[in-house]
Amino acid sequence: MSNNTVKVAMDRDNRGLALSDEKMAIQVKDWNLYYGKSQALKNVTMDLPENRVTAFIGPSGCGKSTLLRCFNRMNDLIDIVSVDGKMLLHGQDMYAKELDVAEIRRRIGMVFQKPNPFPKSIYENVAYGLRLQGVNDKKTLDETVEWALKGAGLWNEAKDRLHENALGMSGGQQQRLCIARAIAIQPEVLLLDEPTSALDPISTLAIEELIFELKKDFTILIVTHNMQQAARVSDYTAFMYMGELVEYTDTDSLFTNPQVKRTEDYITGRYG
Amino acid sequence: MNRKEFGTHVSASYNQYLEDLFNQILEMGSLVERQLQASVVSLQNADYDLAREVIQLDKLVNREEMEIDRLCVRVLARHQPTASDLRLIVSSIRIAVDLERMGDEVVKIARLVLSLEARVDIDCQNLQGYKQLVEITSRACDMVKNVLDAFTRMDLSGAAAVIEEENRVDELFALAISGVTKNFKEDKHDVECLLQLVYALRAAERITDHASNIAESVVYLVNGQDMRNMDATALGKYLALMKEE
Repeated sequence: MSNNTVKVAMDRDNRGLALSDEKMAIQVKDWNLYYGKSQALKNVTMDLPENRVTAFIGPSGCGKSTLLRCFNRMNDLIDIVSVDGKMLLHGQDMYAKELDVAEIRRRIGMVFQKPNPFPKSIYENVAYGLRLQGVNDKKTLDETVEWALKGAGLWNEAKDRLHENALGMSGGQQQRLCIARAIAIQPEVLLLDEPTSALDPISTLAIEELIFELKKDFTILIVTHNMQQAARVSDYTAFMYMGELVEYTDTDSLFTNPQVKRTEDYITGRYG
Repeated sequence: MNRKEFGTHVSASYNQYLEDLFNQILEMGSLVERQLQASVVSLQNADYDLAREVIQLDKLVNREEMEIDRLCVRVLARHQPTASDLRLIVSSIRIAVDLERMGDEVVKIARLVLSLEARVDIDCQNLQGYKQLVEITSRACDMVKNVLDAFTRMDLSGAAAVIEEENRVDELFALAISGVTKNFKEDKHDVECLLQLVYALRAAERITDHASNIAESVVYLVNGQDMRNMDATALGKYLALMKEE
């Protein structure tokens, strides 16, 4: 190693990630959400970086799942919900009137807490989104199903039973199938809402490993109650409390030296 | 941030584990303090029995380090600590290493005293540098006491004072070494005795370095700031800030 290399290395004080260095996938500005008169999200402003895993943590009812659901406009389905503020996907207003909501949901896929495969074959589950888009070419479907199942770390287990009913798979496999189904249509962003809370520890680790692999191709936002999971899988972590974004920074900093006492109390399990 | 907050986790066992860790650090620290006090008296009075006690105590100090490691591993394995809890674990492991090395260094001072037992013909105590050795060892003892106090109270200004004191000890050490060098040049003193004196001086100075390291660990524990390798200007500014807190 040359002296110059040593000097460069020594000059770097902080070798961790920094939001200021990132290219953003989603930008949220002054975001408010109301269930009727009750305000569930309060002035949330944050930028979510591309090809990174961002975790949302906080106690039940803090608004993290509500916020996640805003990213693919799932809250539109609830009559009493109203929102204001700005939410941009790669600079495009996600709540613009002329925008097709189905198109937003194609670009931002979602996986839920409980695995919810369709009562169809493994193959058809993964091909479902493509068929909806009008893709019926067998070669394209075959290739995409294989790619998505490989991407979801399920190919080796599923390749010999592609036409068996997906409901015959284990919980962990079903959840990976749901991830395969979500990525088959190649979304830009993947939303994971407590994706491992119904799984055993080994299946959980398989999903976490998968998340690490998937971030190369997708921007991932994950809501989790498991703080260790957030610490393990995410690059950035947002702590929410009572509808407010309390602290949002790189995961290393948040879990070693949080700047807000409420964050510290929550992640260390103190009364606060 | 204060120590009481480490006892406010929802999990009572977690609170207990961290309390055990705090107590164990203080227990180990008090053993090293005892070693240092004994070494000062043994240097002043040529008390050989006390010097032997210093060496005996080192075995206990070594055992304490292992116990602190065990307590840290227990917390890591069972509770996956984060934030200040995690910093407490990292700091404790570092502090235990520093205390253990201090113990080793005090033993070197005790060995100087014991080497004089067999050489009553040598008036080592009146050599240049010996007085400073007593002075540095005594200051090291105070620094250990003060830094443990800063650890207990999570007191940044106390930690800053220890780091500053270490800089003053460095000056005293340089003075002592120049005195011993003169002794060497005079060519009328026992070389073995002079060498032992140099070793002991170096050991005493190292103890103050370790005390300063512990002060840095206290700073890291309290506010997450890593002070290692800070240049003199940044350190000066930071110490001034800490004193205000």
